[in-house]
Amino acid sequence: MFHWLEKNPFFFAVGVFIVIAFAGLIEILPNFAEASRPVVGLKPRTVLELAGKNIYMKDQCIACHSQLIRPFKSETDRYGQVSLSGEYAYDRPFLWGSKRTGPDLHRVGNYRTTDWHENHMWDPTSVVPQSIMPAYKHMFTNIADIETAYAEAVTVKKVFNTPYDQPNGTKLGTWEEAQKAALEEAKKITADMKNKDVKDAVANGQIPEIVAMIAYLNALK
Amino acid sequence: MNALMIKGLLFAAVLIGATIAVVKSMNIDLSDPINLITMIGAVAIAVLTVGVSIKYINQMKTDKAEGELADENWDGIGEYKNELPAGWAYSFLGTLIWAVWYWFVGYPLNAFSQIGQYNEEVLAYNEKFEEVHKNATPEILKEMGESIFLVQCAPCHGETGDGLSGKAQDFTAGRESKEQVLDIIKNGSDQLKYPMGAMPGGMAQGADAEAIAEYVAGGMKGEQPASFGVCAGCHGADGKGNGGTAPNIVEYDQTLVEHVLENGRKGAIGIMPSFKGRLTPVQQKALATYLGSLK
Repeated sequence: MFHWLEKNPFFFAVGVFIVIAFAGLIEILPNFAEASRPVVGLKPRTVLELAGKNIYMKDQCIACHSQLIRPFKSETDRYGQVSLSGEYAYDRPFLWGSKRTGPDLHRVGNYRTTDWHENHMWDPTSVVPQSIMPAYKHMFTNIADIETAYAEAVTVKKVFNTPYDQPNGTKLGTWEEAQKAALEEAKKITADMKNKDVKDAVANGQIPEIVAMIAYLNALK
Repeated sequence: MNALMIKGLLFAAVLIGATIAVVKSMNIDLSDPINLITMIGAVAIAVLTVGVSIKYINQMKTDKAEGELADENWDGIGEYKNELPAGWAYSFLGTLIWAVWYWFVGYPLNAFSQIGQYNEEVLAYNEKFEEVHKNATPEILKEMGESIFLVQCAPCHGETGDGLSGKAQDFTAGRESKEQVLDIIKNGSDQLKYPMGAMPGGMAQGADAEAIAEYVAGGMKGEQPASFGVCAGCHGADGKGNGGTAPNIVEYDQTLVEHVLENGRKGAIGIMPSFKGRLTPVQQKALATYLGSLK
Protein backbone atom coordinates (compact mmCIF):
# COMPACT_ATOMS: atom_id res chain seq x y z
CA MET A 1 0.00 0.00 0.00
CA PHE A 2 2.61 2.58 1.10
CA HIS A 3 5.08 1.42 -1.56
CA TRP A 4 2.36 1.84 -4.13
CA LEU A 5 1.57 5.38 -2.87
CA GLU A 6 5.24 6.32 -2.96
CA LYS A 7 5.40 5.33 -6.61
CA ASN A 8 2.25 7.35 -7.49
CA PRO A 9 2.82 10.95 -6.44
CA PHE A 10 -0.65 12.07 -7.62
CA PHE A 11 -2.52 9.62 -5.40
CA PHE A 12 -0.06 10.30 -2.62
CA ALA A 13 -1.00 14.01 -2.86
CA VAL A 14 -4.69 13.09 -2.81
CA GLY A 15 -4.10 11.00 0.32
CA VAL A 16 -2.24 13.83 2.05
CA PHE A 17 -5.05 16.22 1.14
CA ILE A 18 -7.71 13.89 2.59
CA VAL A 19 -5.82 13.41 5.86
CA ILE A 20 -5.21 17.15 6.39
CA ALA A 21 -8.74 18.09 5.30
CA PHE A 22 -10.20 15.59 7.77
CA ALA A 23 -8.10 17.00 10.61
CA GLY A 24 -9.23 20.50 9.64
CA LEU A 25 -12.89 19.52 9.52
CA ILE A 26 -12.97 17.93 12.98
CA GLU A 27 -11.30 21.04 14.40
CA ILE A 28 -13.35 23.67 12.58
CA LEU A 29 -16.86 22.22 12.16
CA PRO A 30 -17.81 21.58 15.83
CA ASN A 31 -16.63 25.07 16.80
CA PHE A 32 -18.52 26.59 13.90
CA ALA A 33 -21.72 24.68 14.70
CA GLU A 34 -21.46 25.74 18.35
CA ALA A 35 -20.94 29.42 17.55
CA SER A 36 -23.75 29.68 14.99
CA ARG A 37 -26.35 28.05 17.22
CA PRO A 38 -29.09 30.50 18.21
CA VAL A 39 -28.74 31.87 21.74
CA VAL A 40 -31.36 30.64 24.22
CA GLY A 41 -34.66 32.48 23.87
CA LEU A 42 -33.88 33.93 20.43
CA LYS A 43 -37.01 34.38 18.32
CA PRO A 44 -37.18 35.06 14.59
CA ARG A 45 -38.29 38.59 13.66
CA THR A 46 -41.93 39.45 13.02
CA VAL A 47 -43.07 40.43 9.54
CA LEU A 48 -43.19 44.14 10.45
CA GLU A 49 -39.66 44.01 11.87
CA LEU A 50 -38.44 42.22 8.74
CA ALA A 51 -40.02 44.96 6.61
CA GLY A 52 -38.10 47.46 8.76
CA LYS A 53 -34.91 45.46 8.27
CA ASN A 54 -35.42 45.62 4.50
CA ILE A 55 -35.76 49.41 4.72
CA TYR A 56 -32.57 49.47 6.83
CA MET A 57 -30.84 47.65 3.95
CA LYS A 58 -32.54 49.66 1.20
CA ASP A 59 -31.58 53.02 2.70
CA GLN A 60 -28.07 51.72 3.44
CA CYS A 61 -28.02 52.42 7.17
CA ILE A 62 -25.21 49.85 7.23
CA ALA A 63 -22.94 52.31 5.41
CA CYS A 64 -22.63 54.35 8.63
CA HIS A 65 -23.93 52.10 11.43
CA SER A 66 -22.56 48.77 12.64
CA GLN A 67 -24.45 46.11 14.57
CA LEU A 68 -21.65 44.42 16.43
CA ILE A 69 -20.46 45.30 19.91
CA ARG A 70 -16.87 44.22 20.48
CA PRO A 71 -15.53 43.00 23.84
CA PHE A 72 -13.94 46.26 25.00
CA LYS A 73 -15.04 48.14 28.10
CA SER A 74 -15.31 51.45 26.25
CA GLU A 75 -17.74 49.80 23.86
CA THR A 76 -19.89 47.87 26.31
CA ASP A 77 -20.18 50.99 28.52
CA ARG A 78 -21.74 52.86 25.65
CA TYR A 79 -23.63 50.22 23.67
CA GLY A 80 -24.39 47.41 26.14
CA GLN A 81 -23.48 43.74 26.34
CA VAL A 82 -20.97 42.17 23.93
CA SER A 83 -22.57 40.75 20.76
CA LEU A 84 -22.66 36.95 20.48
CA SER A 85 -22.62 35.17 17.12
CA GLY A 86 -25.72 33.16 18.11
CA GLU A 87 -27.76 36.36 18.28
CA TYR A 88 -27.62 36.70 14.49
CA ALA A 89 -28.71 33.12 13.84
CA TYR A 90 -31.98 34.11 12.13
CA ASP A 91 -30.68 37.26 10.41
CA ARG A 92 -30.39 36.62 6.69
CA PRO A 93 -28.19 38.49 6.01
CA PHE A 94 -26.75 39.72 9.30
CA LEU A 95 -25.93 43.44 9.27
CA TRP A 96 -22.67 43.64 11.22
CA GLY A 97 -21.35 46.47 9.09
CA SER A 98 -17.75 47.63 9.22
CA LYS A 99 -18.03 51.41 9.39
CA ARG A 100 -19.03 53.57 12.31
CA THR A 101 -19.71 57.06 11.10
CA GLY A 102 -22.71 56.84 13.42
CA PRO A 103 -22.96 54.79 16.61
CA ASP A 104 -23.45 51.03 16.83
CA LEU A 105 -27.10 49.96 16.73
CA HIS A 106 -27.02 46.33 17.87
CA ARG A 107 -28.84 47.09 21.15
CA VAL A 108 -30.39 50.46 20.29
CA GLY A 109 -33.80 49.11 21.35
CA ASN A 110 -32.56 49.09 24.94
CA TYR A 111 -31.88 52.81 25.20
CA ARG A 112 -33.89 54.65 22.55
CA THR A 113 -37.67 54.76 22.21
CA THR A 114 -40.34 55.14 19.55
CA ASP A 115 -40.82 58.89 20.11
CA TRP A 116 -37.07 59.49 20.01
CA HIS A 117 -36.72 57.67 16.67
CA GLU A 118 -39.66 59.65 15.31
CA ASN A 119 -37.99 62.97 16.15
CA HIS A 120 -34.59 61.75 15.03
CA MET A 121 -35.63 60.36 11.63
CA TRP A 122 -37.62 63.50 10.85
CA ASP A 123 -34.78 65.86 11.77
CA PRO A 124 -31.67 64.36 13.40
CA THR A 125 -30.25 67.72 14.53
CA SER A 126 -33.39 68.41 16.56
CA VAL A 127 -32.24 65.86 19.12
CA VAL A 128 -28.49 65.56 18.42
CA PRO A 129 -27.29 69.07 17.51
CA GLN A 130 -23.96 67.99 15.98
CA SER A 131 -25.42 65.09 14.03
CA ILE A 132 -24.40 64.73 10.38
CA MET A 133 -27.02 62.08 9.70
CA PRO A 134 -29.40 63.06 6.89
CA ALA A 135 -33.13 63.36 7.61
CA TYR A 136 -35.27 60.44 6.43
CA LYS A 137 -38.56 62.27 5.86
CA HIS A 138 -39.50 60.04 2.94
CA MET A 139 -39.94 57.20 5.44
CA PHE A 140 -42.99 59.03 6.82
CA THR A 141 -44.80 58.89 3.47
CA ASN A 142 -43.44 55.77 1.71
CA ILE A 143 -45.47 52.66 2.41
CA ALA A 144 -43.55 49.65 3.76
CA ASP A 145 -43.40 46.48 1.68
CA ILE A 146 -45.03 44.00 4.06
CA GLU A 147 -45.67 41.49 1.28
CA THR A 148 -41.99 40.98 0.48
CA ALA A 149 -41.17 40.69 4.17
CA TYR A 150 -43.84 38.00 4.56
CA ALA A 151 -42.58 36.15 1.48
CA GLU A 152 -39.05 36.18 2.90
CA ALA A 153 -40.25 34.89 6.26
CA VAL A 154 -42.13 32.03 4.58
CA THR A 155 -39.05 31.24 2.49
CA VAL A 156 -36.65 31.03 5.41
CA LYS A 157 -39.22 28.99 7.35
CA LYS A 158 -39.46 26.43 4.51
CA VAL A 159 -35.85 26.42 3.32
CA PHE A 160 -33.84 26.93 6.52
CA ASN A 161 -36.39 25.70 9.07
CA THR A 162 -36.38 29.05 10.84
CA PRO A 163 -38.69 28.37 13.80
CA TYR A 164 -41.75 30.45 12.98
CA ASP A 165 -45.14 29.28 14.30
CA GLN A 166 -43.61 27.43 17.27
CA PRO A 167 -45.29 27.51 20.69
CA ASN A 168 -44.29 30.76 22.50
CA GLY A 169 -42.46 31.88 19.36
CA THR A 170 -43.08 34.35 16.57
CA LYS A 171 -46.32 33.62 14.74
CA LEU A 172 -46.31 33.81 10.96
CA GLY A 173 -49.54 32.13 9.80
CA THR A 174 -51.24 32.81 6.48
CA TRP A 175 -50.76 36.03 4.50
CA GLU A 176 -54.08 37.41 5.80
CA GLU A 177 -53.16 36.63 9.42
CA ALA A 178 -49.69 38.11 8.98
CA GLN A 179 -51.11 41.29 7.43
CA LYS A 180 -53.47 41.70 10.36
CA ALA A 181 -50.73 41.01 12.92
CA ALA A 182 -48.39 43.53 11.28
CA LEU A 183 -51.12 46.18 11.41
CA GLU A 184 -51.79 45.44 15.09
CA GLU A 185 -48.09 45.78 15.84
CA ALA A 186 -47.96 49.02 13.85
CA LYS A 187 -50.88 50.44 15.83
CA LYS A 188 -49.04 49.80 19.10
CA ILE A 189 -46.10 51.79 17.77
CA THR A 190 -48.14 54.70 16.39
CA ALA A 191 -49.82 55.03 19.81
CA ASP A 192 -46.45 56.45 20.97
CA MET A 193 -45.98 58.60 17.85
CA LYS A 194 -47.08 62.18 17.19
CA ASN A 195 -47.00 62.54 13.38
CA LYS A 196 -50.63 62.81 12.28
CA ASP A 197 -50.14 61.56 8.70
CA VAL A 198 -48.49 58.39 9.97
CA LYS A 199 -51.22 57.80 12.54
CA ASP A 200 -53.92 58.33 9.87
CA ALA A 201 -52.21 56.00 7.41
CA VAL A 202 -52.03 53.20 9.99
CA ALA A 203 -55.65 53.81 11.02
CA ASN A 204 -56.52 53.35 7.32
CA GLY A 205 -54.68 50.04 7.18
CA GLN A 206 -51.45 51.23 5.55
CA ILE A 207 -48.05 51.01 7.22
CA PRO A 208 -45.56 53.81 6.45
CA GLU A 209 -41.90 52.81 6.32
CA ILE A 210 -41.09 54.75 9.51
CA VAL A 211 -43.35 52.44 11.56
CA ALA A 212 -41.66 49.29 10.25
CA MET A 213 -38.27 50.92 10.76
CA ILE A 214 -39.06 51.80 14.40
CA ALA A 215 -40.42 48.28 14.97
CA TYR A 216 -37.08 46.91 13.75
CA LEU A 217 -34.96 49.38 15.75
CA ASN A 218 -36.98 48.70 18.93
CA ALA A 219 -36.44 44.97 18.40
CA LEU A 220 -32.63 45.41 18.28
CA LYS A 221 -31.87 44.43 21.85
CA MET B 1 47.48 22.83 7.44
CA ASN B 2 45.86 22.43 4.04
CA ALA B 3 44.86 25.07 1.50
CA LEU B 4 41.20 24.96 2.52
CA MET B 5 42.06 25.80 6.12
CA ILE B 6 44.20 28.77 5.04
CA LYS B 7 41.45 30.10 2.78
CA GLY B 8 38.93 29.73 5.62
CA LEU B 9 41.11 31.57 8.12
CA LEU B 10 41.67 34.34 5.58
CA PHE B 11 37.92 34.64 5.03
CA ALA B 12 37.33 34.83 8.78
CA ALA B 13 40.02 37.49 9.10
CA VAL B 14 38.34 39.56 6.34
CA LEU B 15 34.96 39.28 8.11
CA ILE B 16 36.42 40.31 11.46
CA GLY B 17 38.41 43.13 9.85
CA ALA B 18 35.29 44.44 8.12
CA THR B 19 33.38 44.34 11.42
CA ILE B 20 36.11 46.27 13.21
CA ALA B 21 36.24 48.81 10.37
CA VAL B 22 32.47 49.43 10.64
CA VAL B 23 32.68 49.74 14.44
CA LYS B 24 35.54 52.24 14.15
CA SER B 25 33.84 54.31 11.44
CA MET B 26 30.62 54.57 13.51
CA ASN B 27 32.55 55.66 16.64
CA ILE B 28 30.89 52.94 18.70
CA ASP B 29 31.88 53.03 22.38
CA LEU B 30 33.19 49.56 23.24
CA SER B 31 33.43 50.29 26.98
CA ASP B 32 29.64 49.92 27.01
CA PRO B 33 29.19 46.20 27.92
CA ILE B 34 26.25 45.76 25.51
CA ASN B 35 28.34 47.00 22.57
CA LEU B 36 31.30 44.87 23.66
CA ILE B 37 29.20 41.72 23.95
CA THR B 38 27.69 42.42 20.52
CA MET B 39 31.17 42.83 19.09
CA ILE B 40 32.35 39.54 20.62
CA GLY B 41 29.22 37.90 19.25
CA ALA B 42 29.99 39.16 15.73
CA VAL B 43 33.54 37.75 15.90
CA ALA B 44 32.21 34.44 17.25
CA ILE B 45 29.72 34.16 14.38
CA ALA B 46 32.49 34.74 11.83
CA VAL B 47 34.78 32.13 13.42
CA LEU B 48 32.00 29.55 13.89
CA THR B 49 30.73 29.97 10.31
CA VAL B 50 34.15 29.32 8.88
CA GLY B 51 34.98 26.50 11.34
CA VAL B 52 31.74 24.57 10.80
CA SER B 53 31.94 24.98 7.01
CA ILE B 54 35.51 23.64 6.95
CA LYS B 55 34.57 20.65 9.11
CA TYR B 56 31.76 19.55 6.81
CA ILE B 57 33.58 20.23 3.56
CA ASN B 58 36.48 18.07 4.84
CA GLN B 59 34.05 15.37 5.92
CA MET B 60 32.43 15.32 2.47
CA LYS B 61 35.85 14.88 0.90
CA THR B 62 37.07 12.04 3.12
CA ASP B 63 34.07 10.23 4.66
CA LYS B 64 33.10 6.71 3.53
CA ALA B 65 29.62 5.34 4.07
CA GLU B 66 29.59 2.23 6.28
CA GLY B 67 27.22 0.17 8.44
CA GLU B 68 24.49 -2.47 8.00
CA LEU B 69 22.02 -1.83 5.18
CA ALA B 70 18.28 -2.18 5.78
CA ASP B 71 16.30 -4.68 3.67
CA GLU B 72 14.20 -1.89 2.20
CA ASN B 73 15.43 -0.50 -1.08
CA TRP B 74 13.95 2.39 -3.06
CA ASP B 75 14.90 2.44 -6.72
CA GLY B 76 18.40 1.39 -5.75
CA ILE B 77 18.71 3.82 -2.86
CA GLY B 78 19.35 1.97 0.40
CA GLU B 79 19.21 3.00 4.04
CA TYR B 80 21.55 2.18 6.94
CA LYS B 81 20.22 0.71 10.15
CA ASN B 82 21.31 3.50 12.46
CA GLU B 83 20.41 4.15 16.07
CA LEU B 84 17.90 6.99 16.51
CA PRO B 85 19.81 10.23 17.27
CA ALA B 86 19.37 10.70 21.03
CA GLY B 87 18.37 14.37 20.79
CA TRP B 88 15.67 13.65 18.25
CA ALA B 89 14.33 10.62 20.16
CA TYR B 90 14.02 12.50 23.46
CA SER B 91 12.34 15.45 21.76
CA PHE B 92 9.86 13.03 20.18
CA LEU B 93 9.05 11.43 23.56
CA GLY B 94 8.73 14.90 25.09
CA THR B 95 6.27 15.90 22.37
CA LEU B 96 4.15 12.82 23.15
CA ILE B 97 3.98 13.75 26.83
CA TRP B 98 3.27 17.40 26.01
CA ALA B 99 0.45 16.34 23.64
CA VAL B 100 -1.33 14.45 26.46
CA TRP B 101 -1.02 17.47 28.75
CA TYR B 102 -2.21 19.85 26.02
CA TRP B 103 -5.19 17.64 25.11
CA PHE B 104 -6.51 17.29 28.67
CA VAL B 105 -5.26 20.44 30.45
CA GLY B 106 -3.57 22.96 28.19
CA TYR B 107 -6.27 23.51 25.61
CA PRO B 108 -9.45 23.01 27.62
CA LEU B 109 -8.33 24.79 30.81
CA ASN B 110 -5.65 27.29 29.85
CA ALA B 111 -6.77 28.38 26.39
CA PHE B 112 -6.98 32.11 25.63
CA SER B 113 -10.49 33.51 25.54
CA GLN B 114 -11.25 36.99 24.26
CA ILE B 115 -14.46 37.24 26.29
CA GLY B 116 -12.59 35.94 29.36
CA GLN B 117 -9.92 38.58 28.97
CA TYR B 118 -12.63 41.23 28.55
CA ASN B 119 -14.44 40.05 31.69
CA GLU B 120 -11.24 40.14 33.74
CA GLU B 121 -10.44 43.64 32.51
CA VAL B 122 -13.92 44.95 33.31
CA LEU B 123 -13.92 43.34 36.77
CA ALA B 124 -10.51 44.80 37.59
CA TYR B 125 -11.52 48.22 36.27
CA ASN B 126 -14.80 48.28 38.20
CA GLU B 127 -13.07 47.27 41.42
CA LYS B 128 -10.52 50.03 41.00
CA PHE B 129 -13.27 52.51 40.06
CA GLU B 130 -15.31 51.72 43.19
CA GLU B 131 -12.16 51.91 45.31
CA VAL B 132 -11.01 55.27 43.95
CA HIS B 133 -14.44 56.89 44.11
CA LYS B 134 -15.63 55.37 47.38
CA ASN B 135 -15.61 58.76 49.09
CA ALA B 136 -15.81 61.02 46.06
CA THR B 137 -16.32 64.72 46.74
CA PRO B 138 -19.44 66.46 45.37
CA GLU B 139 -17.26 68.28 42.81
CA ILE B 140 -15.90 65.02 41.40
CA LEU B 141 -19.38 63.46 41.44
CA LYS B 142 -20.79 66.43 39.56
CA GLU B 143 -18.06 66.26 36.94
CA MET B 144 -18.54 62.50 36.55
CA GLY B 145 -22.30 62.98 36.40
CA GLU B 146 -21.95 65.51 33.62
CA SER B 147 -19.88 63.21 31.43
CA ILE B 148 -22.32 60.33 32.02
CA PHE B 149 -25.19 62.67 31.20
CA LEU B 150 -23.56 63.77 27.94
CA VAL B 151 -23.11 60.17 26.76
CA GLN B 152 -26.21 58.42 28.08
CA CYS B 153 -28.87 61.11 28.60
CA ALA B 154 -28.11 64.00 26.24
CA PRO B 155 -29.52 62.31 23.08
CA CYS B 156 -33.03 62.72 24.55
CA HIS B 157 -32.73 65.32 27.32
CA GLY B 158 -30.38 67.62 25.41
CA GLU B 159 -26.83 68.60 26.23
CA THR B 160 -27.97 71.26 28.67
CA GLY B 161 -30.68 69.03 30.16
CA ASP B 162 -33.47 71.26 28.83
CA GLY B 163 -35.43 68.34 27.34
CA LEU B 164 -35.07 69.69 23.75
CA SER B 165 -38.22 71.84 23.75
CA GLY B 166 -40.55 69.32 25.28
CA LYS B 167 -39.15 66.12 23.74
CA ALA B 168 -38.09 64.84 27.18
CA GLN B 169 -38.04 65.84 30.84
CA ASP B 170 -36.65 69.38 31.30
CA PHE B 171 -34.18 69.25 34.21
CA THR B 172 -33.55 72.99 34.18
CA ALA B 173 -37.18 73.94 34.93
CA GLY B 174 -37.66 72.16 38.24
CA ARG B 175 -39.30 68.83 38.92
CA GLU B 176 -42.55 68.39 36.91
CA SER B 177 -44.56 70.68 34.67
CA LYS B 178 -48.22 71.39 35.35
CA GLU B 179 -49.35 69.10 32.50
CA GLN B 180 -47.23 66.26 33.87
CA VAL B 181 -48.65 66.62 37.38
CA LEU B 182 -52.21 66.72 36.02
CA ASP B 183 -51.50 63.62 33.91
CA ILE B 184 -50.22 61.71 36.93
CA ILE B 185 -53.14 62.82 39.13
CA LYS B 186 -55.55 61.68 36.41
CA ASN B 187 -53.93 58.37 35.49
CA GLY B 188 -52.03 57.42 38.63
CA SER B 189 -48.66 55.75 38.44
CA ASP B 190 -47.03 52.53 39.55
CA GLN B 191 -43.99 52.51 37.30
CA LEU B 192 -41.25 53.48 39.69
CA LYS B 193 -41.74 50.61 42.18
CA TYR B 194 -41.36 52.61 45.38
CA PRO B 195 -42.15 50.74 48.65
CA MET B 196 -45.37 52.77 48.96
CA GLY B 197 -46.74 50.95 45.90
CA ALA B 198 -49.04 52.14 43.12
CA MET B 199 -50.64 55.60 43.12
CA PRO B 200 -54.27 55.28 42.00
CA GLY B 201 -55.64 57.67 39.38
CA GLY B 202 -58.18 60.37 40.15
CA MET B 203 -57.21 61.16 43.75
CA ALA B 204 -58.11 64.81 43.12
CA GLN B 205 -60.45 66.35 40.58
CA GLY B 206 -61.22 69.63 38.84
CA ALA B 207 -60.14 72.77 40.65
CA ASP B 208 -58.42 70.78 43.41
CA ALA B 209 -56.23 68.98 40.88
CA GLU B 210 -55.47 72.29 39.14
CA ALA B 211 -54.45 73.87 42.44
CA ILE B 212 -52.19 70.94 43.33
CA ALA B 213 -50.60 70.93 39.88
CA GLU B 214 -49.98 74.67 40.04
CA TYR B 215 -48.40 74.32 43.48
CA VAL B 216 -46.20 71.29 42.64
CA ALA B 217 -45.08 72.69 39.27
CA GLY B 218 -44.12 75.90 41.03
CA GLY B 219 -41.66 74.02 43.22
CA MET B 220 -44.01 73.90 46.26
CA LYS B 221 -43.40 77.48 47.20
CA GLY B 222 -45.94 79.79 48.76
CA GLU B 223 -49.11 78.75 50.51
CA GLN B 224 -49.99 75.08 50.36
CA PRO B 225 -53.48 74.44 48.91
CA ALA B 226 -55.72 72.51 51.30
CA SER B 227 -56.21 69.81 48.66
CA PHE B 228 -52.50 68.92 48.88
CA GLY B 229 -53.32 66.95 52.03
CA VAL B 230 -54.24 63.94 49.88
CA CYS B 231 -50.73 64.01 48.34
CA ALA B 232 -48.95 64.62 51.60
CA GLY B 233 -50.17 61.24 52.88
CA CYS B 234 -47.55 59.49 50.74
CA HIS B 235 -45.22 62.17 49.37
CA GLY B 236 -44.90 63.93 52.73
CA ALA B 237 -46.00 67.44 53.68
CA ASP B 238 -42.73 68.78 52.26
CA GLY B 239 -43.15 66.65 49.09
CA LYS B 240 -39.80 64.94 49.61
CA GLY B 241 -41.27 61.44 49.59
CA ASN B 242 -41.15 60.44 53.25
CA GLY B 243 -37.50 59.37 53.26
CA GLY B 244 -37.59 57.32 50.09
CA THR B 245 -40.89 55.44 50.47
CA ALA B 246 -42.57 57.51 47.72
CA PRO B 247 -41.17 59.64 44.86
CA ASN B 248 -39.75 63.03 45.76
CA ILE B 249 -41.88 65.61 43.93
CA VAL B 250 -39.79 68.69 44.75
CA GLU B 251 -36.33 67.79 43.51
CA TYR B 252 -34.27 65.06 41.86
CA ASP B 253 -32.79 63.12 44.75
CA GLN B 254 -30.64 60.03 44.50
CA THR B 255 -33.49 57.60 45.30
CA LEU B 256 -35.63 59.07 42.52
CA VAL B 257 -32.82 58.91 39.95
CA GLU B 258 -32.10 55.30 40.94
CA HIS B 259 -35.75 54.30 40.60
CA VAL B 260 -36.20 55.97 37.20
CA LEU B 261 -32.95 54.47 35.85
CA GLU B 262 -34.00 51.04 37.10
CA ASN B 263 -37.59 51.02 35.80
CA GLY B 264 -37.76 53.60 33.04
CA ARG B 265 -40.88 55.70 32.85
CA LYS B 266 -43.76 56.42 30.49
CA GLY B 267 -45.52 59.71 31.15
CA ALA B 268 -47.17 62.72 29.57
CA ILE B 269 -44.09 63.52 27.46
CA GLY B 270 -43.04 60.13 26.19
CA ILE B 271 -41.19 56.96 27.11
CA MET B 272 -37.86 56.64 28.86
CA PRO B 273 -36.31 53.16 28.61
CA SER B 274 -34.90 51.39 31.65
CA PHE B 275 -31.15 51.80 32.13
CA LYS B 276 -30.96 48.82 34.45
CA GLY B 277 -27.43 47.51 34.89
CA ARG B 278 -25.85 50.15 32.69
CA LEU B 279 -24.54 52.38 35.50
CA THR B 280 -22.72 51.45 38.71
CA PRO B 281 -24.02 52.75 42.08
CA VAL B 282 -21.29 55.42 42.13
CA GLN B 283 -22.27 56.54 38.63
CA GLN B 284 -25.95 56.74 39.62
CA LYS B 285 -25.00 58.88 42.60
CA ALA B 286 -22.90 61.08 40.33
CA LEU B 287 -25.80 61.48 37.90
CA ALA B 288 -28.14 62.45 40.76
CA THR B 289 -25.61 65.03 41.95
CA TYR B 290 -25.35 66.50 38.46
CA LEU B 291 -29.15 66.60 37.93
CA GLY B 292 -29.54 68.29 41.30
CA SER B 293 -27.13 71.00 40.16
CA LEU B 294 -29.03 71.78 36.94
CA LYS B 295 -32.08 73.57 38.31
